[in-house]
Amino acid sequence: MNTANSKSRRSSLINVGSFVTLLLMWWLVTAPFGDKPLVAPLFLPSPGSVWDTFLMLIKNGYQGKSLWFHLGISLFRFGLAFTITVLVAVPLGLWMGMNETVKAVLDPPIEISRPMPKLALLPLLIIWFGIGEVAKVVIIVLALFPILSISAMQAVRGVGQRKVQAAMALGASRTMIFRRVIFPASLPGIFTSIRVSIGIGVTMLVGAEMIATSAGIAFMAMSASDFLLTNVVIVGALIMASLGYSLDLCARALENRIVHWGGKEG
Amino acid sequence: MILTASPDLQADIVHASPSVDASKSSVKASFDQVSKRFGMGPESVLALEPISLDIAENAFVCLVGPSGCGKSTLLNILAGFETATSGQALMDGVPVRGPDARRGVVFQQGALFTWMSVQDNVAFGPLATGKSPKEAAGIAAHYLEMVGLTSFARRYPYELSGGMQQRVGIARALANDPQILLMDEPFAALDAQTRELLQEEIKHIWQDSRKTVLWITHSIEEALFLATDIVVMTARPGRIKARLTPQFALSRDPAVVTSTEFVRMKADIFGMLREEALTAQRQEVMR
Repeated sequence: MNTANSKSRRSSLINVGSFVTLLLMWWLVTAPFGDKPLVAPLFLPSPGSVWDTFLMLIKNGYQGKSLWFHLGISLFRFGLAFTITVLVAVPLGLWMGMNETVKAVLDPPIEISRPMPKLALLPLLIIWFGIGEVAKVVIIVLALFPILSISAMQAVRGVGQRKVQAAMALGASRTMIFRRVIFPASLPGIFTSIRVSIGIGVTMLVGAEMIATSAGIAFMAMSASDFLLTNVVIVGALIMASLGYSLDLCARALENRIVHWGGKEG
Repeated sequence: MILTASPDLQADIVHASPSVDASKSSVKASFDQVSKRFGMGPESVLALEPISLDIAENAFVCLVGPSGCGKSTLLNILAGFETATSGQALMDGVPVRGPDARRGVVFQQGALFTWMSVQDNVAFGPLATGKSPKEAAGIAAHYLEMVGLTSFARRYPYELSGGMQQRVGIARALANDPQILLMDEPFAALDAQTRELLQEEIKHIWQDSRKTVLWITHSIEEALFLATDIVVMTARPGRIKARLTPQFALSRDPAVVTSTEFVRMKADIFGMLREEALTAQRQEVMR
């Protein structure tokens, strides 16, 4: 216990050290030693000036809209698409795992569409749905759907045969077996795919916001790049990074709370 | 000392034997010409030759045999998890159609509901068979006490040792008050000490409840220590090679394993099993 603790403390110290070193290197190549810095501010502004830009964006917003508005609209697009996908794809995947016929019907469309890079469909979606919110939400849903449904199906199929047999021999009905055995036993697998799909969902969000929009964090970065506002571009990228990171943290916290037994056998 | 049975043991057996006389008790479950073939066509494997076997009420029947001889298949057919290729398994004279709560099953490992507390695992059967949550909790508490896990009721299976997990599995199966217990090598994954203690516990539970048991094991000693009937099976395709009726199950003395009779029977079964194990090994090499 003690050694494990000191080991993890050592690791987190190294983590912090590595982070600080990166920041220091950034600062070093952008600091004005002599008359000009190693890398011109146009390409890489210093950490300090990026921070100032961040504060300024919070105060004044970007192109007449507050930073919170841009962040809010990005979060809204992601949240709506993610919720729709989880609510539809997971139950559908569970159903596919339980029912051979349903699997046979839904497997081909899902499997065929899975390897296709979904961003390639964006131009088509824009023709169908216009440049409003629908196309952006749809593209994220399309990207996450196969991941979540297939992994929910596989989670069901991976439920230990013995657990199901034990439940049957204890007199459980089909409904009870699903609700109290198969569904909870599939949750660890479903949570893993939820975490994977958060990363992919944020990537899709960025892709969708860079094409034909007038709001959102990735739009802000894209349009700032047209005016060579490198500071704003970097702030946008960092906000997206921390968005992805905090969403993953939330999912992980939820996972640890709900599926505390994940990966442990009993 | 090792070569003679203690007088206590003799007295024990005489005292207990009338209630377990097989000729007087009725048949609880039986296999009627049950055979099993896995797969189709020339690739198929005959796992069990037609087997007929009666399990008397209150009996403790142990199936022993080499790996792959179809012991588990036989148990799964009676449980209702698998269907026989020919013949049928009967319980109280009625063919088994699928799993139900009258036949409790305990597996070697990996069958506990990891996401439920120990208490909820044991209460699952009573709930499934229509008891109210309150009743189910009471029943669970009773059986957890029986296996000595009352203080672990709120824990989760993964927080328990292997031996404790098996106790939970046993309590869970007993909680439905099944008419027969089917146990598929329940102690095979445990260390020797834990195993011996649990064998004694199971023996006492059986002696007190006289529940009919079908038990599968690799261990000759375990079979002799627990069983009223030992069925020795051949290498695949499984057939019944011999049937023995040891008396040690009725003894409460753990030292019964050192008696002359015990050692002699152990040697007999060892001889039979060795022959079959060698056949099984040859089959494996040929494949």
